[in-house]
Amino acid sequence: MPIVKLNNEYLTRLTGTDIETIRANLPMMGSEVEREDKEQTDVQFFPNRPDLYSAEGTARALRGYLGIETGLPKYEVKPSGISFTVDPKLAKIRPLIGSAVIRNIHMDSVMIESLMGLQESLHWAVGRGRKKVAIGVHDLDKIEGPFSYIAADRKTKFVPLDYNNEMTMEEILAEHPKGKAYAKIVEDFDLFPLIVDAKGRVCSFPPIINGELTRVTEDTHNILLDVTGIEPRAVSVAVNILCAAFAEMGASIESVNIEGVETPTLRPEKRNVSVSACSKLTGIPLTAKQMTELLLKMRFGAEVMNDDTVRVAIPCYRSDIMHDHDIYEDVAISFGYDKIETSLPPSFTVGKPHPVQKLYSMVRKVMVGLSYIENTPFTLTSENVSYGMMNRPENPDALHVLHPISEDQTIIRTDILPMLMESLSINRSRELPQNIFACGDVVEKLVTYPKMAAASIQTTADFSMIYAVMDSFCQMMSIPYVVKESADPAFIPGRCGDIYVSGKKVGAFGEINPDVLVAFGLEHPVAAFEMDLRGFVEKE
Amino acid sequence: MDLTINEKRVLTALSQSNPVSAEKLAEKMDAPVESVIQWAHLCAEKDLVTLDKDVTEVALLTPEGEIYAKEGLPERQILASINGSIPMSELTKNPLSKIAIGWLRKKNWIIIKDGIVSVNAEIVIGDDEIALQNPVPGTPACKELVKRGLVQVSENTTWKISLTADGAELIKEGLDLREEIVNLTREQIMSGEWKDLPLRKYNVDKLPKKIYGGRVHPNQQILDEIRDILFEMGFTEFYGSIVQNSFWNFDALYQPQDHPAREMQDTFHLAEELPVPDGWEKIRDIHMFGGNTGSTGWGGEWNYDIAKKCVLRTHSTSLSIQYIAKNPNPPLKAFSISRVYRRETIDPTHLPEFEQLEGIVMDKDLHFGHLLGFFKEFFGRMGFEEVRFRPGYFPYTEPSVEPEVWVDGLGWVELGGAGIFRKEVTAPWGIDCPVLAWGLGVSRVSMLRLGLKDLRQLYKSDIDWIRGSPVRRV
Repeated sequence: MPIVKLNNEYLTRLTGTDIETIRANLPMMGSEVEREDKEQTDVQFFPNRPDLYSAEGTARALRGYLGIETGLPKYEVKPSGISFTVDPKLAKIRPLIGSAVIRNIHMDSVMIESLMGLQESLHWAVGRGRKKVAIGVHDLDKIEGPFSYIAADRKTKFVPLDYNNEMTMEEILAEHPKGKAYAKIVEDFDLFPLIVDAKGRVCSFPPIINGELTRVTEDTHNILLDVTGIEPRAVSVAVNILCAAFAEMGASIESVNIEGVETPTLRPEKRNVSVSACSKLTGIPLTAKQMTELLLKMRFGAEVMNDDTVRVAIPCYRSDIMHDHDIYEDVAISFGYDKIETSLPPSFTVGKPHPVQKLYSMVRKVMVGLSYIENTPFTLTSENVSYGMMNRPENPDALHVLHPISEDQTIIRTDILPMLMESLSINRSRELPQNIFACGDVVEKLVTYPKMAAASIQTTADFSMIYAVMDSFCQMMSIPYVVKESADPAFIPGRCGDIYVSGKKVGAFGEINPDVLVAFGLEHPVAAFEMDLRGFVEKE
Repeated sequence: MDLTINEKRVLTALSQSNPVSAEKLAEKMDAPVESVIQWAHLCAEKDLVTLDKDVTEVALLTPEGEIYAKEGLPERQILASINGSIPMSELTKNPLSKIAIGWLRKKNWIIIKDGIVSVNAEIVIGDDEIALQNPVPGTPACKELVKRGLVQVSENTTWKISLTADGAELIKEGLDLREEIVNLTREQIMSGEWKDLPLRKYNVDKLPKKIYGGRVHPNQQILDEIRDILFEMGFTEFYGSIVQNSFWNFDALYQPQDHPAREMQDTFHLAEELPVPDGWEKIRDIHMFGGNTGSTGWGGEWNYDIAKKCVLRTHSTSLSIQYIAKNPNPPLKAFSISRVYRRETIDPTHLPEFEQLEGIVMDKDLHFGHLLGFFKEFFGRMGFEEVRFRPGYFPYTEPSVEPEVWVDGLGWVELGGAGIFRKEVTAPWGIDCPVLAWGLGVSRVSMLRLGLKDLRQLYKSDIDWIRGSPVRRV
């Protein structure tokens, strides 16, 4: 989630209240103050509210929440007379562009920083790392409309931002830091997206980098915004959020004609919502009037249509409102979660454990009675621990994760005994004897199923001892077993047995092979057993 | 005064001859000398006897020394065999010559010239020869013999044991010399004889030997406690596969296919695929345009092939949704505690797998206030008295909430997330009543309850920590 850095002086000026009040209320609006000092407050907002990723957006919401200025913010849009053409060859590359003209802006360094932060956060949250949406802002006074969004030759040259010399677009992808970072979005195309002005001057190579020519500074007073992308809703959300933020800075917004369509309009979307449905979902008793007031506080437009209907105008920047329930949540936040009267769900139901968990509980009871200490090891492990160090062949049914984070965690365990050996290894400097067990899920192919294992390390750990423990366990668990000679290489030949139930092998026990002991760094005998518990789970 | 039977026997023996050497006392008591000295020391601790230690050196002949003491040193024996002079070649035939020749020359008893050995005129009995008959520790001659390996000097410690006035007084008072009983026999118990027997008294100041019983893991104990609370509140437990396809893990929960959490760096992906259930078209439509739920949907495309791909479940909500899809009739309360997987590097506060508690309550007429009410009750039973609610965000719930509990020293601690399942989530399964859903990172609860700083301790545990971790916490 993005962390938005808010300048205290700017934020309090925009909001119209002191920083303490702001900090106290931010959490209750659904954000978290991550860090604060005299100059700055760093706030984490949820990914569904990109409209809050700037001091301007946060202040707008705060003014409503604190009752300083409520209701739908009015953003007027006049036509700029500037137009854009879109090259049809972009259809498969990056077909969409949104734009707007921002006039009479006066930005100091703090405002420019806020704008850059907003742009970055939108690239992450809406743009999915610029793939879905990429944003460019340009000093309009350096260029002239009409503008063209074209599919250009990869060898087209211009001076990219932060550079003094001309580079081809290919060179930019290979050498410019932004080029290298985002190359993968466009590098496979024969032509690259490019925005040029009436005189063919390059404004931007979206989604990579702007031209140095249109750099925005404190002396910039008129801005051309470009938002390119591959998904129409995301492009328009980004345009709306940016234009609304500029409007909050005091600028006037003008629309651009893109292939005959005047955009943006910044007009709210309207929805009729039910007062009773909202009350029923949130548990807050409401009249249409109360609901309207709560919505105005959240910067919606709202008017009572009748006792059960409120007409809501959704601000253009609220991309998270997809369903009536999203509006109902804002009513609840506006009301205050802590003011909601709470009660227990009245539903009568009867609880019961799941058969597998019930079985695990029984295993625990029996093994604890036999003086074994429970371990709860990881289920992620490696072939080396599970098979290599255990002296066993690899299990072809083990499930491999595609991008392991370390070589210790490449598969999901198929056995639990290796995990216990690892535990004994961790505890090798601890007092003996150590009797440990674990029960839990293992996975083979795609099937999750229950297993248990127990191990004892002490100078007298031997076949007879663990046989007695296994026998007692099976007796307590009503598992009628038969033992046959085992060839499991994890154990000492002639000192181990396979456990059979109803003619099927379910486990093994015996003295751990000294090669295995040495592999785990153990210096004393270990006797152990492991059992597949699938056959002993009650029917649901 | 509490005396052991052996201490009493020492005093009794001393009452007959006092003072006495340890050997004598041992003889009298018919016990090993070492034991008698030990018992005497115990008596001395109680000021009943005094022990005087006398250390003397004793020189004893080695087996080789014994032979020479009888037959003379090798050089003396050789000397005796020479009549005036003898060719060296002849002399070396005598087996003793190897040792003797060196000493003969060193003592200047012979002269060797041109291969002829001649005996010197004046030869007296050496100090070493005298010492060989009666070695006195510390003398130069004795030291010489020690060097030659003919004599060994050892320390001889003797103990003189005497009664003190207190000891004598105690004897006068009389001592019960019957054996003290440690373990009662069946006969002694059944007959009642034990009442008259001298029972060994134990020292209550002495700490017992540590023993370690079997026990449930401290983390599991907390999980069991949580399960019990939920059973008491009428919840049924569900359980499911670690491996889920993306459909159940993400798509059915209205997480858009380009959501960052679905990417390779956050989720463990597998090469395997699992079929998408019948009715998946509804999910596709909901993602693309909201289907018939009144939602706008996410827009964009929805890809069937992405939905088939398997992952290690990233949250147990993947199990919740399948549980309600299978049990769509209210009322229903269910929960699960399951391992979930996130592609995180292991450090003290991040693990790639951990336990998540996941619960759902489904019924007609449920509302958000019931969800908050449930949390107050549940956290209260877990020992967290103060609970507050902050807005939250999850793609599959609306309204959403993040409950926080007050922990002294830490402040408000977020313990999970919750909300009411979105229509986009419940509608495809024919569910039209509210479903309250919540997920809690129970490892965090465990850390708070167990006072742990490092999450790894829960899964790679130090056995001494488990052994020492109390079952009942105060």
